[in-house]
Amino acid sequence: MELRNWIAGGFAMSAAMMPFSALSEELYYGVQLEEFEYRAGEHGEQLFVWDADSFIGSDEVKLRWKSSGEVEIEENNLEALSNQLSLQVPVSDFWDVKAGVQLDSPDGPDRWYGVVGVSGLAPQWIEMDLDFLVSEKGKASAVLDMEYELLITNYLILTPSIEVQGAFSGDPEIGVGSGINSTELGLRLSYDLVDRMVSPYVGVAYERSYGETADLAKDEGEETSSWQFVIGAKFIF
Amino acid sequence: MKSNKRIFATLPAGILVGLGLMASGAVYAGGSHGGGHGNKGQAFGEPGAASDVVKTIPIELGDNFFSPEKLSFEQGQTVRFTVVNKGEFVHEFNIGTQLMHADHQKEMAMMMEHGAIEVDRINHDKMKMDMGNGHMMSHDDPNSILLEPGQSGEVIWKFAASGELEFACNLPGHYESGMVGEISID
Amino acid sequence: MKKKLIILGMSQSRRLIAAIGIGIGLLSASMVTAGEYNLTVDKVRISTGEFEKTGIGYNGSSPGPVLRFQEGEEVVINVTNNLDETTSIHWHGLILPYEMDGVPEISYPGIKSGETFTYRFPIQQSGTYWFHSHSGFQEPDGAYGAIIIEPKGREPFRYDREYVVQLTDAHPHSGARIMRNLKMMPDYYNRKQQTLMDFFSDAEKNGFSETASDRMAWGSMRMMPADVEDVQGFTGLINGKGPDQNWTGLFKAGERVRLRFINSSAMTYFDMRIPGLKMTVVAADGLNVQPVTVDEFRIGVAETYDVIVRPKEDKAYTIFGASMGRSGYVRATLAPDEGMTADVPKLKGKPLLTMADMGMSHEGMDHGNMPSMSGEGHKPEGHSVEKPMQNGKMMDHSKIGSDMDHGRMMKMNKSAADPFYAPGSGLMPQASNGGKFLSYKDLKAQKPLYPYREATREIELRLTGNMERYIWSINGVKYEDAEPIRLKYGERVRFKFVNETMMTHPMHLHGMWSILDTGSGKWNPVKHTISVAPGTTVYSETEVDAEGQWAFHCHLSYHADSGMFRKIVVEGGPDNAANITPVKGERSWN
Repeated sequence: MELRNWIAGGFAMSAAMMPFSALSEELYYGVQLEEFEYRAGEHGEQLFVWDADSFIGSDEVKLRWKSSGEVEIEENNLEALSNQLSLQVPVSDFWDVKAGVQLDSPDGPDRWYGVVGVSGLAPQWIEMDLDFLVSEKGKASAVLDMEYELLITNYLILTPSIEVQGAFSGDPEIGVGSGINSTELGLRLSYDLVDRMVSPYVGVAYERSYGETADLAKDEGEETSSWQFVIGAKFIF
Repeated sequence: MKSNKRIFATLPAGILVGLGLMASGAVYAGGSHGGGHGNKGQAFGEPGAASDVVKTIPIELGDNFFSPEKLSFEQGQTVRFTVVNKGEFVHEFNIGTQLMHADHQKEMAMMMEHGAIEVDRINHDKMKMDMGNGHMMSHDDPNSILLEPGQSGEVIWKFAASGELEFACNLPGHYESGMVGEISID
Repeated sequence: MKKKLIILGMSQSRRLIAAIGIGIGLLSASMVTAGEYNLTVDKVRISTGEFEKTGIGYNGSSPGPVLRFQEGEEVVINVTNNLDETTSIHWHGLILPYEMDGVPEISYPGIKSGETFTYRFPIQQSGTYWFHSHSGFQEPDGAYGAIIIEPKGREPFRYDREYVVQLTDAHPHSGARIMRNLKMMPDYYNRKQQTLMDFFSDAEKNGFSETASDRMAWGSMRMMPADVEDVQGFTGLINGKGPDQNWTGLFKAGERVRLRFINSSAMTYFDMRIPGLKMTVVAADGLNVQPVTVDEFRIGVAETYDVIVRPKEDKAYTIFGASMGRSGYVRATLAPDEGMTADVPKLKGKPLLTMADMGMSHEGMDHGNMPSMSGEGHKPEGHSVEKPMQNGKMMDHSKIGSDMDHGRMMKMNKSAADPFYAPGSGLMPQASNGGKFLSYKDLKAQKPLYPYREATREIELRLTGNMERYIWSINGVKYEDAEPIRLKYGERVRFKFVNETMMTHPMHLHGMWSILDTGSGKWNPVKHTISVAPGTTVYSETEVDAEGQWAFHCHLSYHADSGMFRKIVVEGGPDNAANITPVKGERSWN
């Protein structure tokens, strides 16, 4: 609980440090639903998945809200839900650092995290987000997200993506072992239908868990790897 | 004829015309800038003699226009044009056909490119330069006069045939922006 | 005070200015003239033939009326704001007291909703200018119009009729939305990016490994060679009409027609031509230039060019302007009769920036080629352009860049390269018919406004930006964080624009003229907007002869709004002129 207060305090502190000039400037916002899709897996699972990323702010500081979740359609069960709120400031031409909090639920008890991370554009146009998280239980973990947009034409876009989750120390209560514990690879082919606002896509996703995490999943009777067909649309407002 | 002209190339434009008139009595079948375009224009006239002048027309050169802009004469008349450059740029008063002017514009552009004529002065030294095509950048035809700002001079011309002619300044851009007038010969 | 009729729409008057110009001059000089004009700022419908939207206009239309002033008169303009937000009108290119310049926060507070503001100023110049809102994105949303000022004396050219040809890049999105989208995703509107398909066709031409290393070179910089136009998806309008609505100006064969081109676009440069006609450029940014005949010219945002054409045949001619990035075009027609049309050229090619535009080519900044170095009396030591990329790793790729450049140079050698573009630039203009394309180098003042003298000091303005964040700045500092530039009344300041970005910036100084250094000495043209191409350094000089405070900015709407903007403060005034000795005072100031 103490740690949780500390995290909240840190968040408030960074908010207070927002440059004054940023407040007087025009505020911009953006909402991106990067994934909004139906997934049919090789083991018969049917999922509804979303991954949203929004911001409001100025050149100097942005308040960013990331939300992702998975619903098992047949059981109408929210399998995973993660919300992250962070403040992001630029540190170089292409990179931002961010600090904030994240709440993961459910699938076991809720977990609060303090998050610091970097976010930006790596050479060769690779979009990258790297988060370091410390949970209220004091367990440290990291998540790396990378994405690349290959323009087949200026409207038809193939997007490979990869997400890697790892933990420096396990948290068995929520099914997390230490080490690299899961990866998700995606490949989506989208077409910009209305500006960049609505872009339907089809693709595949491959999820896999490793090591202790895989063992924990097996104990729960879950699969440790799955190919999934995805169909959905990207929305940008 | 070409060799005669070289002598005059460095002399002030005003004097040139007078000398030019004496030197050539041929019927002009086109502007003859060293090369001549005898096969192009029709015979529209010849340098006139001062004693035959029946009309004197004052012509003012401005930046970039003529005043007046319309003239008409009768076939066979010899006219004295007293030309004064009241502008701040070098200008030309040149009598000819549209086609002759179009050709002359190319020569004028070349003279400016080579620095023989600058916007507001004539570089008499460079006038002696070879244009690279065996012709010199002289500007001494009796149907025209090239004047620096403030200079004046005259052209005496006998209009031989009836038809439409133009008097023009063929310095780059001047003709196109309207420094051209009409001469109709009845 | 007499009321003047505001001429709505385009003037089709057939006044023979040349013949009676002097008469008019005498007439207007002897009259005490004062024109009173009324403008309302309204929400209007804009219909381009491709889309419709609600925008902003004047007196109920966009573009607004053509305002016709007389040199020497005192104008009174009542502007009533019918919007529910603050507005303003800036008289682009007009020399006037700074309180009348119409820039909120700099000249005055702006015009609040429901209020009427009365502008009152003497008209001290003549030519083609324009007016537009200087508030938010009202100008891209449609708040612009043309100004014609009749000279006191006769024009140095002749024409039988005249038309305003006012260009804009009307966009289905509102300006505010475009700005937000660019901040969210800088390539939101760029649909000219290099694709996999381009990769295959380039690989076929240049080989796989060369194409791959070219892509890697740009990718390592996270820059796009196709980043020529930030905001695509517009419909090009001429006098408010889209290509299909085809604005038409009438003429009789043999007449001289004066076309007053004004680029009121938010973001778009156009390469203007009239297939079948030569154009004689007689004025740039309102002021007369020594006439130069061209086949095509590029008009930067906010610039104006007056040209004279003389269609000799009884047929229609298309006025065509491909946008610099070839993502759109403007089209109109000159014809002997309404309804006649001529062929509309197809948009061809897709210009790609080269490493030269990044300031990275080997031949990059060859001083000998720079226009500023060939002129008289310039600082002999010169200045080299700082490389935009400090990262040594990126310089490794300069070889690739220069190899690429050679191919382009070969093509370009056919026509003389324009010294106002980086040698090997992918933006180097070329006339579609292989003829003459106007360069800044060709512009020479018809009547220099100021005696030629040495500048008293130089101010370096590096044009900078971060494309990925869509932040544009000067010397790396955006407007919000910048101190004003302080000038002293009476000095002649030399601005050194160093473009370190990959985009072309039309820099507009309010209130005072910019004497563009083309190397023509006393004939250097006098402008209000100076376009600075990527990878180049351009100089302009300003006689600081207007007191007060002024705006100075890139006229691309979304660059200005995101920081490429400065306030200029002129210290002192006519009674308190700086006593400054010119740096190399060979020429006297008189």
